Amino acid sequence: MAEAQDSLWGLVEEFVSGQQDSKATEVAAGVKDGAFTVLQVVEALGSCLANPEPRTRGRGVQLLSQVLLQCYANLKEKEVEVLVVFYENRLKDHHVITPHVLQGLKALSMSVVFPPGLAVSVLKSIFQEVHVQSLMQLDRHTVYMIITNFMNNREQELKSLGADFTFGFIQVMDGEKDPRNLLVAFQIVQNIITKNYSLGPFVEELFEVTSCYFPIDFNPPPNDPHGITREDLILGLRAVLASTPRFAEFLLPLLIEKMDSDIQSAKVDALQTLTAACAVYEQKELKEFLSGLWSSIRREVFQTASDKVEAEGLAALHALSAGLSRSVLSPDSEDLLNTFLSSILQDCRHHLCEPDMKLVWPSAKLLQAAAGASSRACLKVTANVLPLLLEQYNQHVQSSHRRTILEMTLGFLKLQSKWLQEEDGNGLANFKDPLCSMVFSAVTDPSTPLQQVAVKALTVLGTQQGFLSSGDIDLIVDHLTRLILEETDSQSCQAVIDSSGSLARVHPAVFISRMVPQLCSRLQTVPMEGTDDRGSAIPQRTVWQRCLEALAAISTHHSIVQETVPILLDHVRQAQKGDTIAEDVVAVCKSLHQVAVLCQENAESLCYYHQKVVPCLLSITVLAAMQDRGNAADLHVLLNDNVLTAMASLIISSTTHLSPDLLSSSVSQIVNLFLDGDVSILKENSFPSKFLPFQIDGPAAPQSRLVALFMAFVCSLPRNVEIPHLSRLLQDLLSLSLAGCCAFAFTSAAKCFAGLINKCPAGEQLDNSLQSASHKIESGLEDESRRTQAVTLLTWVTKALILRYHPMDGHLTNKMIGLLSDRDLGPLAADMFCLLVSDSPDILNKACHADIRIMFRQRFFTENVPKLVQGFNAANEDNKPNYLKALSHVLNCLPKQVLVTELPSLISLLLEALSCPDEVVQLSTLTCLEPLLLDAAAILSVHIDTLISKLLCLTSSPSMAVRITALKCMLALTKLPLPMLLPYKQQVIRALAKPLDDKKRLVRKEAVEARCQWFLIGSPGS
Amino acid sequence: MVGSSQLENANPLIYQRSGERQVTAQDEDEQLHDRIDDREIFDLIRSINDPEHPLSLEELNVVEEIRVKVEDKESTVSVEFTPTIPHCSMATLIGLSIKVKLLRSLPERFKVDVHITPGTHASEHAVNKQLADKERVAAALENSHLLEVVNQCLSARS
Amino acid sequence: MLIIFSLSPQTRPSMKDSLTLLSRLSAHPDSRCWFLAWNPTGTLLASCGGDKTIRIWGKEGDTWVCKSVLGEGHQRTVRKVAWSPCGNYLASASFDATTCIWMKKNNDFECITTLEGHENEVKSVAWAPSGSLLATCSRDKSVWVWEVDEEEEYECVSVLNSHTQDVKHVVWHPNQELLASASYDDTVKLYHEEEDDWVCCATLEGHTSTVWSLAFDQSGEQLASCSDDKTMRIWRRMASGEEQGKKDPTWKCICTLSGYHTRTIYDVNWSHLTGAIATACGDDAIRIFEEDAGSDVMQPTFSLTAHMPRAHSQDVNCVAWHPKEPGLLASCSDDGEMAFWQYQRPE
Repeated sequence: MAEAQDSLWGLVEEFVSGQQDSKATEVAAGVKDGAFTVLQVVEALGSCLANPEPRTRGRGVQLLSQVLLQCYANLKEKEVEVLVVFYENRLKDHHVITPHVLQGLKALSMSVVFPPGLAVSVLKSIFQEVHVQSLMQLDRHTVYMIITNFMNNREQELKSLGADFTFGFIQVMDGEKDPRNLLVAFQIVQNIITKNYSLGPFVEELFEVTSCYFPIDFNPPPNDPHGITREDLILGLRAVLASTPRFAEFLLPLLIEKMDSDIQSAKVDALQTLTAACAVYEQKELKEFLSGLWSSIRREVFQTASDKVEAEGLAALHALSAGLSRSVLSPDSEDLLNTFLSSILQDCRHHLCEPDMKLVWPSAKLLQAAAGASSRACLKVTANVLPLLLEQYNQHVQSSHRRTILEMTLGFLKLQSKWLQEEDGNGLANFKDPLCSMVFSAVTDPSTPLQQVAVKALTVLGTQQGFLSSGDIDLIVDHLTRLILEETDSQSCQAVIDSSGSLARVHPAVFISRMVPQLCSRLQTVPMEGTDDRGSAIPQRTVWQRCLEALAAISTHHSIVQETVPILLDHVRQAQKGDTIAEDVVAVCKSLHQVAVLCQENAESLCYYHQKVVPCLLSITVLAAMQDRGNAADLHVLLNDNVLTAMASLIISSTTHLSPDLLSSSVSQIVNLFLDGDVSILKENSFPSKFLPFQIDGPAAPQSRLVALFMAFVCSLPRNVEIPHLSRLLQDLLSLSLAGCCAFAFTSAAKCFAGLINKCPAGEQLDNSLQSASHKIESGLEDESRRTQAVTLLTWVTKALILRYHPMDGHLTNKMIGLLSDRDLGPLAADMFCLLVSDSPDILNKACHADIRIMFRQRFFTENVPKLVQGFNAANEDNKPNYLKALSHVLNCLPKQVLVTELPSLISLLLEALSCPDEVVQLSTLTCLEPLLLDAAAILSVHIDTLISKLLCLTSSPSMAVRITALKCMLALTKLPLPMLLPYKQQVIRALAKPLDDKKRLVRKEAVEARCQWFLIGSPGS
Repeated sequence: MVGSSQLENANPLIYQRSGERQVTAQDEDEQLHDRIDDREIFDLIRSINDPEHPLSLEELNVVEEIRVKVEDKESTVSVEFTPTIPHCSMATLIGLSIKVKLLRSLPERFKVDVHITPGTHASEHAVNKQLADKERVAAALENSHLLEVVNQCLSARS
Repeated sequence: MLIIFSLSPQTRPSMKDSLTLLSRLSAHPDSRCWFLAWNPTGTLLASCGGDKTIRIWGKEGDTWVCKSVLGEGHQRTVRKVAWSPCGNYLASASFDATTCIWMKKNNDFECITTLEGHENEVKSVAWAPSGSLLATCSRDKSVWVWEVDEEEEYECVSVLNSHTQDVKHVVWHPNQELLASASYDDTVKLYHEEEDDWVCCATLEGHTSTVWSLAFDQSGEQLASCSDDKTMRIWRRMASGEEQGKKDPTWKCICTLSGYHTRTIYDVNWSHLTGAIATACGDDAIRIFEEDAGSDVMQPTFSLTAHMPRAHSQDVNCVAWHPKEPGLLASCSDDGEMAFWQYQRPE
C-alpha cells in the first residue's frame, strides 16, 4: 500500500514539476486499478495546491482533472461531493487555473452518482465566478458541455433555479463567436425552450442573444477540419428561433426586414424560418404581422429572379395559411384566416383573368399555396376562384389562353381532391356541370397542349368517387379510348395511357366494358411493316403498339387483369404459326411484363398471372423448340434471342413477389420439366418428341435455348424456396455452359449456374459445385474451341461469388486479371469486368433475392485495383489497354465518395487512360472523371496542365461520344477554384473554338456550354 | 437588383417557351454532318436573361426563331430582335448580349450581324450602328461594369 | 462630285498570281491583332492587339521573329501604334484612355511618358513628318495635337472638337503639317495651323457610314478613305485657283470604288513606292487597286489588281506597305495572325 502511495507521489511530482503529461494517464490507471483513490491523489497534490505560484497550482488541478476525465465512472457519491466543493472553491482562484477547474467539473458532471442539489451550486458558481466569453474557445466549449450534461441529467434541479438559470446562460453565451460553440449553445437554448425551463422576464433577452446571428453568414475556411457547415448553423439557429410562439412578436418583424433585403440567401433563410415558425404559431401570434408578411411574400413571388426564392415564398405562405387554419375560434372573434385569404384573393384574383401576362402563374401559385393548407382554406379559395376561371375559359377563345386557364383550374381541382374527399361539403358540387362542359370541350379541342391538360383534369375529376355520374364516366373512357386510337402526338398519347391506368383502378367495370373490347378488336389486325397507311394520320403499326401499351397500363385492377392477360397471351400464341416477326412478339411480351409489374401490388392478381402465363409460355416455346429443325438461319420466331429475353424478364417479374407456398409447387414441376422432360405442367400434352434441353448434341439443340426461361424462374426465387435435385441441376448447367451450342444457350446456362450458386447455402454441396466449375473452367480455357464459354462462365461465377463475399472470389478474380494479358482473350476479359461490377438487369440483383453484401464494390475495388495497376505496369504495350479498360470499368461503377479518396493513387493512371487509343477506355475514363472533378480540386491541381491538354485533345476524337464527354469534363472543370483555372482561360477558350464547328450538333451544344462557362470564370457578373 | 428599383413594366406579356430540341436519329448518327440551322442559333439566344425582368428573351418575344437567319455554307448569321417597348433603354444592352453570346458560341468563321427588327425602336439606326462597330463592342467588353451586366444576362438562372 | 462605279469588278486573268503569301505567323495568340506599323527604314514591324501588348518583330534570315514584347504599358487593348519619323520612338494608343511613348534603347523599349487627357478609348495616334508634333483621337469625339520639345516633354497644344462622334483614325500629310481624321460621324476632317491655333479647314462628306481609315498618296495631293459603307473614296486637293473664291485649298471626291468589298473596310494603305492601294476588309479579304495608266487626273479610274479572298480566317484589320521594299505588304487579323505578302503588278 505504502509502495503505491510512494509511486503516486512520484508520479505527481513528475507531472507537476517534471512537466511530463503522460504521467496523468498512469495516475488514472492507478485509480482505475484501485491502487489508490482519487482522494489520495488530492492528498498527494496537497503541497502543490498550496504553492504560491498560480501555474504550479494550475498544474496540480490539471492533473486531477485529467485523472477525473478518465475515471469519472469509478467515483463514489461521497468523493464527487468532496471534489465538487474543492473545485467550486478553486473557481475563485487565479484565472490561469480556471480552464483546468472547468475540465474537472466537466468530468464530474458526467458522473452518474452526482449528488442531488450540487448541480445548482456548480452552475451558480460558474455564473458568478467565471466570465465565460473571456475564456479560450475550448474552455467556453467546456462550460457549454457542463451545462448540457446537467440539463440531460438534472433537469428538475436546474428548473428549481427558475429564470435565473436562463438568465445565467444568456450571460454565458452573450458574444459567442465560434461556430463550434454556437452549435452547442443553440442546442442548449432550444432545450431551455422546448423542455419548458422558466424564461421569466427574459424572453426578449433570450431572443436577442440568439437572433443577433440571423441570418447566418458563415463560410467555413477551406480544409476546415471541424466540418461545420453554414447549413448546420442555419438549422441550429432556426430550431431556436422557431421553437416558441413567445418569440413571435420579435421574430416576425425581423423576418420581414430580412425578406426585404437585397441578399438572396437572407431572403431564403427568412422564408424558411417563417415556414418553420408557423408550425407553432396560431392566429394570435400572427395577427399583427399578417399584412406585412403577405406583402413581402407577394413581392418575392411576383418579382423574383430565382426559382428558389419563389419556392420558399410559396412554402411560407402555405405554412402561414396552415397556422391560421389551426386556431380554435371563439364565436365572436374575427376569423383571421378568412381575412387573410380575402386579401390574397383581392391581390391575385384579377391576374387570373390575364392568361397571357407574366403575373398569371405567380398569382395562381400563391392562391394554390394558401388554399392547399387546410380544408377551410381550400373551400374558401376554390369557391371564389373556380367560378372566375370557368367564366374566363368561356371568354377567352385562343387555345393557349384556355390551356393556361384550364391548367390553373386543374391545380385547384387537385387541391380539392386532397382536402375535400367526402361528397357533402365538397365545394365542387355546384360547379359540376360547368366544369364538365369545360373539360369535355377542351378534350375535343384540336390543340394538343389544351387536350393534354384536359386529360389530366378528366383524370382528377374521374378519380373523385361519386362526383361524376356514370354517364360522365362512360364518356371519359370513350374519350380516352378515342385518343389512344387517334391521337397523333406520341407524348400526349402516353399521358392518356397513364391517365387510363389511374382511372381504371377506380372504375374497372367501365374500362372492361368500353375500352378493352375496342383495343382488342383493333389488335386483331397485326399490320405488316410498311403497311399502307394512307387515309390515316398515324401509322397503323403505332396504333397497334399503343393498344398493347394501353391494355397493360389499365391492368391496375384484378378484374381487368383477368381480361387483359388472356388477350395478350392469345397474341403470343399467334406466333406459334411462325409468320409473326420477332419484334411484334417482343412488343406483346413487354406489355405482359408491364402487367406483371402492376400485379406485384396485388397478391391475388399475381397468383392468377403466374399460373396463367408461365405454363402457357413454356408450352408454346417447348413446342416450337421441338418443331424446330435446328437450322440456325431458320430459327422459329419464339426461339429468337430477343423474344426469349423478353419472356425471361416477365417470368422474373411474376416470380420475385409471389408467395413461397405457391412457388414450391411450381418449382418442382418446372425442374422436372427441364431435368426429365416431365410435361405435366404444360397445358398441351401431345408433343412430337421428348423435351431434353440439357442434352448437348443432337436434334434437341434448339431446346437448350429455353434454359433462359428456366434461369428466369429459378434464379428469381426467394432464398427460402427449396429447389429439388439441385446437384444434378448444377451439373447439367455446367455441362451446357461449356458446350458448343449457341452463345445464347451457353450464356444462359452460365448465368443460371451463377444465379443458383449465389444463393446456395455454404456447405459441401456448394464447395463441390464450385470445385467442379473451377475444373471445367480450367480445362475449358485450355481447349481452343471452348475458351469463350470458359471466360463467360468464369465471369458469371466470379460475379456470383463477389456479391456474397465468398472466399473463393479472390482466386477467380485473379484468374480474370491474369486473362488480361492473354493475346486472344484479353480484350474479351477486359469487357467482362464491366459485367462483374455493374448492376445486373435480369438476375443476380436485389429484386431477384440475390445474396448481395453491401459495399461489395468497395471491397472488390480495394482488393483488385492494386493488382490491376500492377498488371498494367508489368504488361507489354499490346496488353496495356486491356488493363486500362478493366480498370475504368471498375472505377465507373464505384460510388463517388470512394473514388475521391482513392483518386491520388489513380490519377496518373487515369490520365494515361485518356491517351489510350481505345475509345471505350477513353469514354469510360471520361465518364468516371467527370463527377470527380468537383471534389478533387486539391489532387487535380498538380495535374491540371496534363488534364486540360488531354481533354482538349479528346474534343477532336473521331468518336462523337468521346467528344461530348470530354467537353462535359471541360465544363465540369469550371467549378474548380479560380486560381487553378485562370492561367488556362485564354488557351482553353481558343481551343474550344474548334469544337464549336464540329459536324455533329450534339457536340456543338456541349462545346457552347463549356466555352461560354469558361468565358464567365473570373469575369465580373458571374 | 430585385425589389430595389422600380421596373419599367412589372407585368409584361409573356410567351410560351419552346421545348428542348428533340434529338433525332440523324443527330445520333456519327457519319452525318448536321448543318447549323436557324433553330440551333435560336437555341443559343432564346435563354438569354432579360436585363430587367426575371424572364428570358424568348418569353418576352424579344427573339423569335423566324427572325434568325443562318447560312452555314456562307458563314453568316443575322439576328433581328424586338425590344418590348419602342423606347426601351435596354435595347443596346440586349443587342450586345445577343452579339456576345453568338460570338462566344459560334465558330470563328461566322460573320454575325445583330439588328433591331425594322420599325420597332425609336433609335433603331443608332443602336444598329453601335452593334455593328466591332471596335466599340470590343471596348464595351473591356468595361467591367458592362461586362458584368452582359455576363449576368448570359449566366444560367440560379 | 464625280462618282465612278467600276464597270466590271471582275479580275483580270493574271490577277490571281499578283499577290503571293510569303509567310504567316501567330502574332497575338488567344487574342486579335489590331494594327501594324513599319519603322521608317523597314527593319522593324510593330504590332498591337487585344492582349494589351505591343510586339516588335524583326527579320532573321527568311523568318520574322518577335524581338520584344511591350506588355507593361497598357491596361486594355492597344488599338494602334506609330513610329516617329526618326525611328527612335514608338507611340501606342489604347482603350485605357492613354497614349504611351516608348523610346528605343539598343534592342529594348522603355516607356518614357504616358499622355493622359482623353476621357475614354484612344483610337489612333500619328506623328507629323517633322517629328515634333503628335496627334491622337478618341471616342470622346476629340482630336488632340501634342508638341514635343527637346527634353522629350509633350504638351497638348490643341483640342479639336469638330467631329460629332468618335474619331477613329488620324493621319498626317507626308510632308506638310496637315492633319486628317476619320470618324463614326461618317466624315473626314482636315486641320492645319492658323495664327498659332489649329483649326478644321475642310470636311469631306460622302461616306454613308463610319469612316475607318485614311491614307495619303506619296505626293500628299490625294487621300484615300475607307468605310463601313463598303466603299473606298479617293479625294484630291484642289488648289485655291481651281475652286474660286476660297482661301483654303479644298478637297474633292474624284473616285468612289464600290461593289468590290462585301463588308466593312477597316483599313486602307497607299504605297508611296508603287502607288498601289491596299485595303483590309471584314470579309477576310485583302484587295489591291492601282490607277489605270493614262486615266484623267481629275477623273481617275482604278482597277482591282489583286484579290486574296481568304487572306485571313477572320476580319482583316490592317494592311501596311513596307517603306523600302516595293510590293512587300504586311497584314493582320482578328484571328491573331499576321501575314506577309509580295505584290507584283499584273501585266
